[in-house]
Formats: sequence, structure tokens, C-alpha cells
Amino acid sequence: MSAAIDTRPKEGPTAARITRHLPLARVFAIAFIILLLVGTFTTEGFYTLSNMRAILNSASVVGIIAVGAAAIVIGGNLFSMSLGTTVAVCAMAFLSLLGAGLVVAIVGTLALGAIIIGLQGYVVGRFGANPIIITIGAGALLEGAATWISGGTSVNPPPDSPDFSFLAAPLLGIPFPVYVFVVVVILGEIGLRRSVFGRQLILMGSSPKAARAAALPVTRLTTVAFVIAGVTAGIAGVLLGAFNQSGTLTTTGTLTYDAIAAVLVGGLAVAGGRGSVLQAAAGAILIAAISDMLLLRGFSPPLQMLVLGLIVGCVVVLNYVNSRGGEVR
Amino acid sequence: MRLTTTTTLVIASAKTPRANRTVALWPIGFALVMLIALFVIPSLSGRTVTIFSVYNSLQSFAGLGLVALALGLTMIIGEFDLSVVGTYALGGMIAVKLGGESPLLGALVALIVCGAFGALQGFLVARFAVNSMAVTLAGYLVALGATGTIGDNRSQPYANFDVTGVLNNPILGVFSLRSAIAIVVIAGIAVLFLATPLGRDLRATGGGRRASRTAGVRVNAIVIGTFASSGMLAALGGTLQSYGLATATSNPGLSPLIFAVTAALLGGIALTGGRGTPVGIAAGALGLCFLSQLFTDMVSPQFVTSLVTGTLLVVVTVFATPSVLRSVARVRQRSAQRTAA
Repeated sequence: MSAAIDTRPKEGPTAARITRHLPLARVFAIAFIILLLVGTFTTEGFYTLSNMRAILNSASVVGIIAVGAAAIVIGGNLFSMSLGTTVAVCAMAFLSLLGAGLVVAIVGTLALGAIIIGLQGYVVGRFGANPIIITIGAGALLEGAATWISGGTSVNPPPDSPDFSFLAAPLLGIPFPVYVFVVVVILGEIGLRRSVFGRQLILMGSSPKAARAAALPVTRLTTVAFVIAGVTAGIAGVLLGAFNQSGTLTTTGTLTYDAIAAVLVGGLAVAGGRGSVLQAAAGAILIAAISDMLLLRGFSPPLQMLVLGLIVGCVVVLNYVNSRGGEVR
Repeated sequence: MRLTTTTTLVIASAKTPRANRTVALWPIGFALVMLIALFVIPSLSGRTVTIFSVYNSLQSFAGLGLVALALGLTMIIGEFDLSVVGTYALGGMIAVKLGGESPLLGALVALIVCGAFGALQGFLVARFAVNSMAVTLAGYLVALGATGTIGDNRSQPYANFDVTGVLNNPILGVFSLRSAIAIVVIAGIAVLFLATPLGRDLRATGGGRRASRTAGVRVNAIVIGTFASSGMLAALGGTLQSYGLATATSNPGLSPLIFAVTAALLGGIALTGGRGTPVGIAAGALGLCFLSQLFTDMVSPQFVTSLVTGTLLVVVTVFATPSVLRSVARVRQRSAQRTAA
């Protein structure tokens, strides 16, 4: 009997052969989906109409912010850590401005969001500053300014404010924010795929050096990407303000991290240049479903954060491995 | 000897002797100016200032200075550990939960857990070349989630008041055992950094990873070791803070991170990596502690602190960008040419 080791590839359907043809990321993705399905089917009350409505409602707010976060990450500028604070400030601004009329309140809130995040984008684009650090600093600055202006108290709508309850009420049985979410996603996807700005943003995210060499307006592109994120934060602020009917800096909870997680779980590349708005939206729905399942299973908020962190960590690593074809260094 | 010409070039390109001098002196100057301001500014508004303000500043330095060093070391190797604020909270919570009877045991477990957690993040960064900000953002969420889970989502008291008392007892008026431990640890790391090849390897790794690897620097080991050290230093900071205040908080917010980044940048650390020393980071952190104490002495509202720290972070980040540094260098060069003419 020969002692030589047969090094030829095995032809049989062995586990090794399967994993060779299925990249590591896909194996983990399949395992994750199976785990999620088992988890949701064993969670009492998950597959009910009212719970589906709750998931959609929650996903719509996170998803709207995730569309803006997608613009930032696709442009190669990682994440904004001030999105949640901006949403809270926008909710406070919306309720304060209601005295001047609903249209003024909505337009003013969106403009405020665009200015707040857009300014951060200008600094990032103009000076090549680190987006995460700039947005952390801007978040602290924003919190200080909001506390100063509001006196540290919660903001409520003025007594003579117009009726804005439809912004939080169901329409044809589906929560109003879901319609807004769908419109924002469609506009975002068209803007990214069909406009010159969208293509330039993808190119900038793929290779900042090539973008500069091609004389692309890097500062303007970065600023506009952040402005889009600001507008989506403004929309989320309007919807949250209308839903809660009061606004404080603490109402947004983990919105920043939920939006970032949605973008990453959707499969957008951390390094930029890859991904779509639709993927971010799908990620938001997945994150909302997972959060809902954990809540129904009695997980405490910190435990939910822990699970969110694990998901983000796995997705980030697997995305990198997948994009490099399993290359390690 | 592993150091070759390539490594020397990497280090040389990262820091010229002139830059060395500037980086070493500026953070110390900043700390001294803040110390003077701590006494002068309240006096101008008729407030009494005592040596107790310096003691308080050093008490804050014991926790936050270590977090700044933890983050700063990862910045020197060209990475960024966002999770320091998570391991800071987690370390403090583990120590309080397990250190009731034996504070050393609590501290040791906190250091081991957070060190292993840091090493895992370092492994992912080194092995898979993953963006460290993305990995450590996940690490931050996991560590903070674990802290809240261990601490039932609320602050946890530390009942061993003897330990708290011993740690806070004033020594020579301005120091305490708490601040002395932090100072000794920071000094030890500074000595390791400046007097052994470790500092050179860290800066070389931050200056250019491929060249460093070619030159024989064990880059992966350096990255994993730095992240492990980062986790341990942040955990020690959290432990000292929790034991000293007799409370472990389940969510300290982002303010320790804002402090750490600002201190590191003021301390001469470049976001591009390869520049800076633990001495600079410590001086930056000390200056910021004096500034923070100044606000406390002036009875400033919390929002003023937020406004100032946020602005300071944005400004120092912009000034640390390569484009602004190049502009400053050009202005200096023109000024020197005019002087020579």
C-alpha cells in the first residue's frame, strides 16, 4: 500500500469542497440567516401583524438615517458619530418652529439638519480631517449649544401649533413614516445610480487619490454627501418629534449606532465606493427586526447593544475578507 | 539587530530632529500654561484658588490620562482605538463587581479581560487589515453592552471604602495613591518607549507598515500588543476611577473619548501615525485636566464644558491634518527665508 499522500482535489461533496466554493463570508451569512430564522420563529409574538407594523415603523426611522449614512460611507468618509444628536436637535427644532406653521417647521428643520451635518462635511472634505473625530467633536459642540439654547429642558409644541398628528398616524393601516422611508430610499437610489453626483461619489469612495487626480470636486462632493445625511437626519427628527410630541437630547438612544449597523449589515464597504441605498435600507429592516426580536425575548438595552456590537464586528470583518477574496495578511 | 536602513528611513521620514524638539516641548508648554491659567484666571474674577485644584486635576488625570495614553499608543501605530471608552467602563465595572473583598483581584481580572479584548481587536486589525475604527466601533458597543449587562444598566456602588480612602489620601498636598499609580505606569511606559527598541518599532509601524515589515519589525505582534496594552491601560484607568469614586458607571458617554483624542492630538500625536511619545500624550492630558478643573473652579455650567471641549477637538483635529500642517510648514519656510534674507 502506498504511503504517498494524495494531494489532488477530492471530487466528492466533502465539507472542504463546499466551503472552497462558498466564500467564508457566505458561510457565515447563511449561518446568520438560519440563526435569525430560528430566533424569530421561537420568539412568541414576533410573526404578528402588529409586531410587523412596529418593526416597519422602527425600521423606517433608522432606515431614513441610514440612507444619509450610506451617502457618507459610499463617499469613503466612514461614519458620522453625530447623527443621533442631530436627529434629537432637529426634533427639538421642529417642535419649536411649529408656531410658525407646519411647512415652515418642516423646511426649517430639514435646513437645520443640512447645515449642521453639511458644515462637518465641509471641514472633512476641505481639510481631509478624520470624519469620525470631527463628528464626535461636533456632536459635543451640538449638545452644548442645544442645552444652552433650550435651557436643558425638553421642548414641547406651542399651544397654537397646527395639527401634525398625521406625521405619526397610520395611513391605510401602515405607519406614515414607512411611506416617507420608501420615498427617501427611491430618491436616494435614483440619485446615487442615475446622477453625476452619485457616480462621482462612488468614484471618490473607490479611490480618493484617483478622484483628486481626476480633478473631482472632493470638497463639494463630501459636503453634499454630508448635507444629504443632514437632510435625512432632519426628516427623522420631524418624524420622531411628531411621534414623541416632545424633544430632548436623550430621546434618540442608539440611533447613531443603529444607522451605522444598518449600513454595515447591508453590505456597504467600510472603505467606501461599494454598496447601494437599497442595501442600507435592507440593513435597517434587518437591524430593526433583530432589535425587536431581542426586545420580545426580554433582552435588556445593554444586552441589545452587545449583540449589535457583535453583529457589526462580524459583518465588518467578513465584508473585508469577502472583498479581498479571503486574503489575509 | 533587526533595525535596517529602511526602518531608519521610515522613522526619519516620520520625524525630523527639529520636529522631535517641537513635539516634545509644545505639549509640556501647553500643560504649564494651563497650570498657570488654573491659578490666574479664577483669581482675576475674585475666586480663591488653592493647591486642592491641582490635587483634583491629578485625580482626574489618574483615570483619563491612562485612557489618553491607551488611545495615543494606537494612534502612534497609525490605528485608532474607539473602544477605549468601552474598556474604560468595562474595566471599572468588573473591578467594582469582583474587587469588593480583594481590590487587587478585581483590578487584575479587569486588566486581563480588557487586555484580551484589546488583543482580539488587534488581531482582527493586523490579520485581516480591517479598518481599526470600524472594528473598534463594534468593540465599543460590545464593551459598553457588557458593562451595562454586568452592572444591571445602572451605576454600581463600591462598598470597600477603605480602599477608596487609601487611594484618595493626599500625598504631598497634590498627589494621591490613585494619581501616583497612574503617573508611575505612564512613566514606565514612557521609559519603555524611549529607552528600548519598542518605541522605535511602534513609530516605524505607524510610519509605514510595509517598509517596517520588510525591515524586520514584527508588525502584527506590535499591532496586537498595542491594542492589548490599550485595553489594559483603559481598564486600569476605569478601575482607578471606580475605586476612587466608590462607583462604577455603566455608561460614561463619549466624553472620555473626546478627552483622550484631544489630549493625544495636543500631545503631538499625528492621525497619520508614526509621530509622538507617551510623554507628549501625558502632557496633553495633564493640560486638559487643568483646563477642566478651571471650568469647575469657575462654576461653569456643563454646556460650556461641552462647547469648549467640542470646539477644541474640532480645531486640533483640523490643525493636525496633513494639508494644514503643510500650509504651516510653508509659512514657516517663507518666514525663515525672509529672516535669512
